Order: sequence, then structure tokens, then C-alpha cells
Amino acid sequence: MSKRQVAMVMDLNKCIGCQTCTVACKTLWTRREGMEHMLWNTVNTQPGTGTPHGFESMGGGFRDGVAQRGQRPSVEDFGKAWNFNHEEVFFGGKGDVSLAADGGKHGKGPNWDEDQGGGEFPNSHYFYLPRICNHCTHPACLEACPRKAISKREDNGIVLIDEDRCKGYRFCQEACPYKKIYYNEVEEVSQKCIFCFPRIDEGVTTACSRQCPGRVRFVGYLDDPEGPIWKLVTKHKVALPLHAEYGTQPNVFYVPPLSPPKIDDEGNPTDEARIPTEYLVSLFGDGVHESLKTLERERERNKRGEKSELMDLLIARKWLDMFGPFQKHPREVARNRPIPQNQQKPRAQQVSAIRFYTKEEFKKGGRE
Amino acid sequence: MRTRRVKNVAPMLDPGDPGWASVPVEQVSMMSTPLAMQPTPYIRNSWEGREYGRVEALEVASVHDGQQWALRASWRGVSPAGKDFPDALAIALPVRGKPLLALMGAADAPIHFLRWQANKSGAVSQIATGIGSSAPGPALACSAQARAKGDRWQVVISRPLGGGSDIAPLVAGRKTGIGFAVWMGGNDERGGIKAFSIDWAELALDA
Repeated sequence: MSKRQVAMVMDLNKCIGCQTCTVACKTLWTRREGMEHMLWNTVNTQPGTGTPHGFESMGGGFRDGVAQRGQRPSVEDFGKAWNFNHEEVFFGGKGDVSLAADGGKHGKGPNWDEDQGGGEFPNSHYFYLPRICNHCTHPACLEACPRKAISKREDNGIVLIDEDRCKGYRFCQEACPYKKIYYNEVEEVSQKCIFCFPRIDEGVTTACSRQCPGRVRFVGYLDDPEGPIWKLVTKHKVALPLHAEYGTQPNVFYVPPLSPPKIDDEGNPTDEARIPTEYLVSLFGDGVHESLKTLERERERNKRGEKSELMDLLIARKWLDMFGPFQKHPREVARNRPIPQNQQKPRAQQVSAIRFYTKEEFKKGGRE
Repeated sequence: MRTRRVKNVAPMLDPGDPGWASVPVEQVSMMSTPLAMQPTPYIRNSWEGREYGRVEALEVASVHDGQQWALRASWRGVSPAGKDFPDALAIALPVRGKPLLALMGAADAPIHFLRWQANKSGAVSQIATGIGSSAPGPALACSAQARAKGDRWQVVISRPLGGGSDIAPLVAGRKTGIGFAVWMGGNDERGGIKAFSIDWAELALDA
């Protein structure tokens, strides 16, 4: 049991699906060889299949406290990074060549069903669901590993894989019901979101939260009554875990999305929300009813010009207040950062904006 | 089990070398590791009712030339290509004390493993002091060559005679114990999900 737990709240009313969080994470952490398909942070359209595709039916987690068998998602399930024929298109000297992914034989990408959502016009609807490792209080991955390669930090509850102990057995991948663990075929180890622990240790919030243009993500300690997490999760009870029924006690929470009224056959607004509440309940549990009621009540209060601590918090007028005790600028604590892309020497034939380091290069921070 | 002395082990590092034809083969019975001994509830629950460790026996022969020791193991169980986990073989030798093979050794009685796996060349040296504890072992000039003949693997694992701090002793004219483990990668076998030789077999090296 960890003494404290860092946690994240994501306000789904504000996520615009821009993937800045995804790119911030990708750029910072998953640029070694074998990590091409890894997106420790994903943002998917809901209703939808998510990443990996169909993860909610891949098993794992606990039922009545008993570990459940799960599937290992393949690289194809996660959505492979596509290779494009940029070189051929731009420099090949043939005017009739079109841009194609994997020679036109690509599989599903990681964000395959983006913006499809559900419902029929005029009641079509969708919202975005960002996901990272939930750094669970009862981590199925940790309990599944026969190598004791996974640990939960006592000081902040971050769940980490020790790559020196990991032997790539991938029981963790099977056991994680959120399917947030990836396998690096080059390094032969499992890898996942580390909640930016080197930043957290220095008082800097995670890259995904700091880079978010929508001010979606709150970070702090779960038990800090002065911080945003405790207020949203415990005091106002508007932030809820995803699929609590998986039994792992996740520490990422979501403020469910409000939506405009459903339109009836005559074209008139009804009392029902356009995003079906039962769908939200299937994701976030019965707490959705109270959460939505509270959000609506506080929103009305705000409209009337009355004070609402909850609305002030969710609007996040003071950006840095979103990050509890992790408000330092990364520049204040920077050391051994990978060299920014625009300062790297050009690599012959390099076309992709993302360059993958070898493990050795990464250790040297990209320096030659 | 007896290791016969030959003039030169070097050509016999090839599992297809005709020299192996004149070395008597011994059968080693194998069984699946008990489910109850799997180290985590997840593994026990997820493998309940699933078959694993189906390799029932290894055919084993071994030789040494006073410098080098080589063992050829053969068994039925070549997995199709493209699976997540490789077929593999490990030879266990006790370093000191009387470790239990089924428990993969103890803190004061380590076991030295030489492991071959089908997706890599050569063998690796590993040391274990309990279930789930295997770690890189002592530096040793070990090697492995393998060939799949039909549905059978033929694997030769070799190492120098002698010993060292964590190197299991193999000395001409002396006896020690030997154990085996086999993984069928195509059946998702890895870690403790494997067939093993239950207990130590006596290994006597010709003088």
C-alpha cells in the first residue's frame, strides 16, 4: 500500500480530441526502437472501439477479487505505426504515384474510428476519451508478474516496470483490463506510461497534462484537501473511474460529459441527454447520475452569477492550480533531456517528423 | 546419466554430426510444472484447465573431451513460426548445496542454467536462487546449435568443464545432478509454464 497516491482527473466536457497530449507523451517517452507503435497516452472517440481495438472485451482485471484471464493485444490491435512512401512521392520523379500507407496494405490505425461516435442524426453524438495507465491501487499487472518486475512506488503510488527484471512474458498485458501495457519487440520488455515520474519527482506535472490546450487534466494527490483531485473526486463527487467493475481501483478519474438534449421525431428537444446516460453509466458506473446532476446544478448557479467552487475549478481559470503541488516549469529542473528535434543533425533519408532513437542514443540523450 | 569421453567435442557441437550416432541415448521423463506452484494467482487462474508442458520425454546424450562438455537433447515439439514466444530448452546444474530443482534453487544453493531459445543464436548463462529469480549468470563460453528435423528439435548445448564461483562444477571423473526444462512457445509457454524433469538426474562424467 502506497503512503500517498498521485492521480489524474480528466474533464471530458473540455477534451477536443486534438491529440496534443498523445504527441507530448510520444515525443518525450516512446522514441526508442521497438516503440514505434506505442502510445502510452491515447485519445479515442466514444462510443467506439478504443485503443487497442475492442479493449473492453479483452478480459483481465478482477471479478470478486479473483484475477481473470485476459488477452494480449497484438501490435495490430493497438494499431501499427504506418510507413508512408514519402520518398517515392516527393522525390521519385513519377507524377502518378500517390501517398500510401504500408504500400496500401495498412491495417487499422490506433485512432481508427475517430469522430464516428454513435446515434442517428439528429441525435448523433460522440465525445473524446483520453486514456493513460491508471496506476491502479490494486494493479492487476503487478499481481500477475512472476518476476516481481512491476512495483508500485510507496511515496506516490506510480506503477512502474523494472526493465532489467522484465523478461517479456507479457502476463501483465493479459492481466491489465485497460490494455495499457505495450510490448517492445526490440528490447523484449513490456513498457507503459510512467506518469512522468522523473517530472513528478521534481515537482513538474506530467507532459500530457501540461501540454493540454483544453485544460482537461488535473493532477495531484488523491488525499490532498487543498488540491484539485480530492475536490473533484471526494468532495464534489463529479470525477469517476473508468470501468470500476474491473476491480483494480484505477487512479485516473473522469468528469462525464454533459450533452445537449435529444431531439424527438417532431424536432423538439426532450428531457433526455443526447449522449445516452446509460452509455455513460456503462463506462463510469452509477455515479454518473449524481455527477451530471451536480454539474448541471452548479452550472445553473454559475449562470445566475452565484459563486460555484466546482465551476471555478473545472473552468480552470488559474492554469497552474490544476496541477496541485506539481506546478514547476520543466525548464527549472531540466537535465539530460533528449535534444529537441530542431537541434538534431539531419539524418539521411529522414522524412518522418519523429525520429526513433536507438537505446544507446536515448541513454545519451540523443548526443552523438 | 553418463557423459562419455571422446577425442574431440568440437565437431559434435553440430546436432547433425554423425559422431552422435555412436553415443548412447537416455530418456529423461518430463512433466508439466504443477499449477499450484505457479508464482502468481493470475497465472494459476488463467492456466487452469489449459494443457501445457506436454513434452513427455527428452532423448539426451552427452560427451566431453577433457576440456569441453556437450549435451544433445532431442524432443518432439517444433512450434509453427510467428508465435509470441519461442520454443526453448534449459539445462540445470547445481552450483553448491542441495537445491530443489522444482523450486529453482535457494539463496544458499543456486542453480546454474544454460538456456537456448529458438529465436536466438547461442546459449545464455543464468543463475537462479528461487522461482522467478533467474538473472544473468556467470560469464561462460557456452554455446548452442539447434536444428528442427520434422517435428523434432535437436539441440546441442556446450560449455567448458570446470567450475567457478557461480559456475556449476562439471569435472571429468566426478558426478553431479542435471535437470531439464522445455517450453513449447507455440502454446504460449514461458516462465514457469513449461515441462520439467521433476528432480535431479545423476550425471557421471567419464574420467
